[in-house]
Amino acid sequence: MNCAPTRELLSAYIDGELPPDQATEIAEHLASCAACSRDYEAMLATVRTLREGLVRFHAPDLLRARVRTALREEQETAASTPTVRRGSRVAWRTVAAAMVIAVASSGVTLLATGGGRRAAPESASEEVLASHIRSLMPDHLTDVRSSDQHNVKPWFNGRLDFSPAVPRLEDQGFPLLGGRIDYVRERPVAVVVYGRRQHIINAFSWPADGRDEPVQPQEARHGYNMLRWRSGGVEHWVTSDLNAAELRQFVGLLQSAR
Amino acid sequence: MPDSTLESFERIVVPLLDDAYTLARYLMRDEHDAQDVVQEAYLRAWRHYGGFHGGDARPWLLAIVRNCCHSWRRTSRPRQTVEYVDEEHGSAESGQRATDADAIAASDRAELRVALDQLLPEYREAIVLREIEGLTYKEIANVTGAPIGTVMSRLARARRRLQEALGFGAQEAS
Repeated sequence: MNCAPTRELLSAYIDGELPPDQATEIAEHLASCAACSRDYEAMLATVRTLREGLVRFHAPDLLRARVRTALREEQETAASTPTVRRGSRVAWRTVAAAMVIAVASSGVTLLATGGGRRAAPESASEEVLASHIRSLMPDHLTDVRSSDQHNVKPWFNGRLDFSPAVPRLEDQGFPLLGGRIDYVRERPVAVVVYGRRQHIINAFSWPADGRDEPVQPQEARHGYNMLRWRSGGVEHWVTSDLNAAELRQFVGLLQSAR
Repeated sequence: MPDSTLESFERIVVPLLDDAYTLARYLMRDEHDAQDVVQEAYLRAWRHYGGFHGGDARPWLLAIVRNCCHSWRRTSRPRQTVEYVDEEHGSAESGQRATDADAIAASDRAELRVALDQLLPEYREAIVLREIEGLTYKEIANVTGAPIGTVMSRLARARRRLQEALGFGAQEAS
């Protein structure tokens, strides 16, 4: 091995992360090349300085207490009612109570229930549905409330690593209500919220690799219809208690508006 | 079958609070944001504890903390202040660790911290996970979602930058 590749691999060599044969080659080169050997010493000194000089922080007692309390609260809430994720922030009102009955009587896992046992990881459809149901709780629907796409779209900028489409569909009977950021599939996702008479439609989107996939109805659960598709590297999920035909019409509008 | 009760979580995951907080402090660069993120990360970790199938809980937890930091930064207005380590007020861990670090003057450590803060976020993250948290390349790859080769080159580049910033014998042209 000569100088250039050696220099590049010194860092991994110091970490013992190279395959044995490569490490041997580096060691041999260092033994015979004074310049690389000096560079190795400098890199080693850098790493040593970092390890010794970078501070490990000690979690403040207050944080320790906060974490313990939050966990306890979460467990108590989970044990008493299968509730939604925002725990103590939830204000139980009539709507919410109805939701709880729907959730409790369903197989949907919003949270692990009793006994402190945790549920298996959720599927995308369960997470989307959980988010939809959660959004119907008081004050959970939108982070930015506006019927103007020119307010909603910029709101997402800087909050997400992609820009969701926010078409205006009011003339077709689907007024824009606002947007929010939610957390699905272990990542923040955009949710654009539309209305249809008294119904709420949540349109989820997030970047996803893979080929385009046509619109597919997902299994309707608990009175909610759900459609998903993928186009142009974006995964889309739309869910609502709106009837399947109108929801399909909505998706058609959403797609043609792009 | 791993035990997924709160007792088990408190025994295995809660003691890692210093690790979680350290990562959050370096990624958020703000004491208060770091605390909020860690609390959020612990709740999330607890909700997903059923999906943790034993093994080393540290990389598993750090991945959650890291993701929380990222989504927090995307969704929150960044604070204007960037806080550096305040040695005088003992925000750093004291005790036996301090003895190791005594060899390095406080000013050098501040310099180190400034150099680290000037790195690209993905470089800084790799350095913190490697030099402070002591993760392997494979674990760092899992935590950050980057391929091992990327982890390797990020660390190499980050260390070069720091080497230059700290004035440790510049790399000769090769």
